[in-house]
Amino acid sequence: MAIDVKHLAKLARLRIEDEKLARFEKDMESIVSMVEQLPELTGDASGLDPEHPMKLREDIPGTDKLSRAELLSNAPKTQAGCVVVPKTVE
Amino acid sequence: MEYETIVGLEVHAELNTKTKIYCSCKNAFGLEVNTQICPICTGMPGTLPTLNEKVVEYAVKMGHATNCSINNVCKQDRKNYFYPDLPKAYQISQSDIPLCEHGYVDIMLDGEEKRIGITRIHIEEDAGKMLHNDAFQGSLVDFNRCGVPLIEIVSEPDMRSSAEAKAYLETLKSILQYIDISDCKMQEGSIRCDVNVSVRPKGSTEFGTRCEMKNVNSFSAAMRAIDYESNRQIEAIERGETINQETRRWDDMKGMNFLLRSKEDAQDYRYFPEPDLTTIYIPKEKVEELKSQIPELPNAKIKRYVKELGIPQTDAELIAENLPRCRLFDDCIELGGVSPKNVSNWILADVSKYMNETGKDIAESNLTAEKLVKIIKLIESGSISNNSGKIIFEEIMQNNADIDKVIEEKGLAQISDDSAIEKIVNDVLSANQKSVDDYRGGKTNALGFLVGQCMKASKGQANPAKCKELVLKYLES
Amino acid sequence: MELYEMPAYELSKMLREKKCSSTELTKSVLGRAKATDEKVGAYLTICEEEALKKAAEVDEKLGKENLHPLAGIPIGIKDNISTKGVLTTCASKMLYNYVPPFDAFVTGKVKAADMVITGKLNMDEFAMGSSTENSHFKKTHNPHNLDCVPGGSSGGSAAAVAAGSAVISLGSDTGGSIRMPASYCGVVGLKPTYGAVSRYGLVAFASSLDQIGPFGRNVTDTAMLTGVICGNDPMDATSAAREYPDFAASLNSDVSGLKIGIPKEYFGDGVDDAVKQSVMNAVKELESKGAVLVDISLPSTKYALNAYYIISSAEASSNLARFDGVKYGYRTENYDSLIDMYEKTRSEGFGDEVKRRIMLGTFVLSSGFFDAYYKKAKLVAQEIVKEFDEAFTKCDVIATPATPGTAFKLGENMGDPTKMYAADICTVTVNIAGLPAISVPCGKVNNMPVGLQFIGRKFSEQTLLNAAYAVEKNIGEAAPVNV
Repeated sequence: MAIDVKHLAKLARLRIEDEKLARFEKDMESIVSMVEQLPELTGDASGLDPEHPMKLREDIPGTDKLSRAELLSNAPKTQAGCVVVPKTVE
Repeated sequence: MEYETIVGLEVHAELNTKTKIYCSCKNAFGLEVNTQICPICTGMPGTLPTLNEKVVEYAVKMGHATNCSINNVCKQDRKNYFYPDLPKAYQISQSDIPLCEHGYVDIMLDGEEKRIGITRIHIEEDAGKMLHNDAFQGSLVDFNRCGVPLIEIVSEPDMRSSAEAKAYLETLKSILQYIDISDCKMQEGSIRCDVNVSVRPKGSTEFGTRCEMKNVNSFSAAMRAIDYESNRQIEAIERGETINQETRRWDDMKGMNFLLRSKEDAQDYRYFPEPDLTTIYIPKEKVEELKSQIPELPNAKIKRYVKELGIPQTDAELIAENLPRCRLFDDCIELGGVSPKNVSNWILADVSKYMNETGKDIAESNLTAEKLVKIIKLIESGSISNNSGKIIFEEIMQNNADIDKVIEEKGLAQISDDSAIEKIVNDVLSANQKSVDDYRGGKTNALGFLVGQCMKASKGQANPAKCKELVLKYLES
Repeated sequence: MELYEMPAYELSKMLREKKCSSTELTKSVLGRAKATDEKVGAYLTICEEEALKKAAEVDEKLGKENLHPLAGIPIGIKDNISTKGVLTTCASKMLYNYVPPFDAFVTGKVKAADMVITGKLNMDEFAMGSSTENSHFKKTHNPHNLDCVPGGSSGGSAAAVAAGSAVISLGSDTGGSIRMPASYCGVVGLKPTYGAVSRYGLVAFASSLDQIGPFGRNVTDTAMLTGVICGNDPMDATSAAREYPDFAASLNSDVSGLKIGIPKEYFGDGVDDAVKQSVMNAVKELESKGAVLVDISLPSTKYALNAYYIISSAEASSNLARFDGVKYGYRTENYDSLIDMYEKTRSEGFGDEVKRRIMLGTFVLSSGFFDAYYKKAKLVAQEIVKEFDEAFTKCDVIATPATPGTAFKLGENMGDPTKMYAADICTVTVNIAGLPAISVPCGKVNNMPVGLQFIGRKFSEQTLLNAAYAVEKNIGEAAPVNV
């Protein structure tokens, strides 16, 4: 099966350089042709398990909060207490 | 050719829980940027969501209030897309199994009731906010709103005009307020909607191609956006063009919408079950318990007010649409001993006027149902005049005054005692023989003058109805 | 004998008997790391200063306070487990500078037990790989043969313990990432039941499959560390609400009456004959001690690898979308728009294997392909669960080779992704079914270690540790390898 690597890369916000494209296409084709060998099964795959439901969290505010400075300390670019990104509107 | 407009709405309402949907950050509006955040709602590597139980309960309540069936076994799914205000690059939402589905609400428009289908209601998280400034090259991201709990209420394409859409939105808003799960503050963006519009020749049963409009931030904007889009589509069809399924952005300032993306560019959200959360299960008993917590909703109230209490339809709607008003009204009726019509008049006139002028909420004012009922009772029994009632009301609102004290201090007690009024009437009549003669000579407006003189003589304390009755009795004898 | 060579359970006693101090022990382990790591390459970050500070603290408390048995014992942590204030890179350029402002649940547990964290261990980038060759920073070598890979993705965790540059360590296992390197490096590695150990703070690869687990040179050390990390965590909705026994105190090598299932699918064509032989010899040894061998069949095993790569890549494509240059980690230098920044950052920040997995995951979830891939893989997963349930009506544990062969040469499988994927063939079913499994050394083939894998029912960690303990009784505990 031919895989549209460019399209997948676009969806995944990746950019595959032209010189690497052929290699990725070949790899993806061999991977997909491996994993697609699956039996024809039908049924409900939603995985719902009411016997083992999730425990929900009580609606009580937490107390041990980190500071803004700590939380933004890893951000590549900040200003005025915010994370900075390229302009999103013209 | 005549056309019909078809409208479907996707309403997002922020829930007023104490904490966010997937972390224990406070769910609060308007605080300093990036101060209501934690590693979870900012999508730090390795963090995990935990679902707030109140979010599930609130959504189930909304489901009950809109006559939905509740999927008490359901799950959450990831909706994948990249944007800086979505730190995990996926929104935790629900795709194929929403918490509530197949419901309806009845809306009232020009006295006519119409049923609007609710396709589904699901829970999801809100995104952060992008801040833009012309002076600054980039955009700033404030994550405070990330993880604020939302319910998305999706309607069937059952509305046929912008007015119906507005009535539907008003109905949803009042329900959200009645069951107290959302603050419904439009200016804070706590209710937002996406609008789907299509048109078709009147009489046709097939739907036309629909366009979705984003960025509709108020109910009046929704009306403008629907009317604009409906006209745009009709004009296009009239020109012989076909309508393309697309997403458009409403610009309320310009009063126009603009193409955001066409169907070909439709995003592929790659939904799949959220593996960090497992099955949501609400025991049947809990579902029923939540149902029992739903108060009487606006539509039922209006019907009861009209049928059982004899309130005019429009007045009943005005009271029912506003929760504080409606609570006051219901409390007064429960205390009893007064005419519902008088209570309704007081609430829609003096009380509403005061609240509008001061911008206060009834609950935070000095007014209580007991006080209002007491004023109305005093008026109805003739112990005070209507005017005095207004004076007492003002005193209560401004100084939290005691009603009996105000009556005493301001001398507002009305003379209703027959013998006392009889004496005043006799004095006035003997001093105004000319007017008596005028009346008997056919000048009936002399009656008003004579009653006025009686009121003057009593310094306004006589019961005007009683005065009039006695004056007439004498004149006609 | 140097302190770094001793097992944790022995060191625990020595610390209490004041035969050594945690500071001496920590210095010995750090010294070993310095002496060997140039060749082995297990560590990405060594926390010498913090470790010595913690050791001194423990020495101060020893004898005065009632401390955890592992207090003062040095431990290495895989670099995808968040450590507050210490780089957590996932061996990726994408997180080359990322310092978490919080601890993972397990890091908190390790600290609460007063263990001494010596540093962060190398791995395949974002835990995607079977050789630790996918690390952006360095390759880790197998201490048994430096030309061979240590396995992956927790290659650093296994190699450090094997070389003596850590007494015990933590890794993570999504499709075999603990058991496979444990097998290749000749140490014990346990993948706990899904939900037994909180994933909070483990940088997610595939959320429904990931589980943190311990490495040790012997079963007792492994059992001790298992006890530290198992436990309910309200921060992880998939964490099980239950109590765990004192695994180390309950260790028992008596296998009489233990029913050991031998699934024929795990002894088929894809598995090296000498490895099969080594595993069967160890199992026969247990039979001679009273265990009962039962032939079983797990027919869907042949689809497990495919289902695993679909499910794990689908989840990974979503989990790794957050690495976009906005909030943390790498951001490209020059960009002219948001999209440009996203694409350059992610293309430059991720290695090729990570890109392949993200694209595979994106593909199987994309419109029109979901049912044929993701949904079908989930149905296969349900079949695998059913088959295990059925098997466990006939046996108590299942014995298989942990890997189809012994450690391969560096570079040997780098050219062909699917060949590399095949190395996970014996381990992925366990993650799909959420079961616990342990790899314990059972012998050597061509001088390289072979791991025997025991798979158990959910939350049967004690049974697995006991079975592994019985194997260890026969062949002896591992000692640090000469490098």
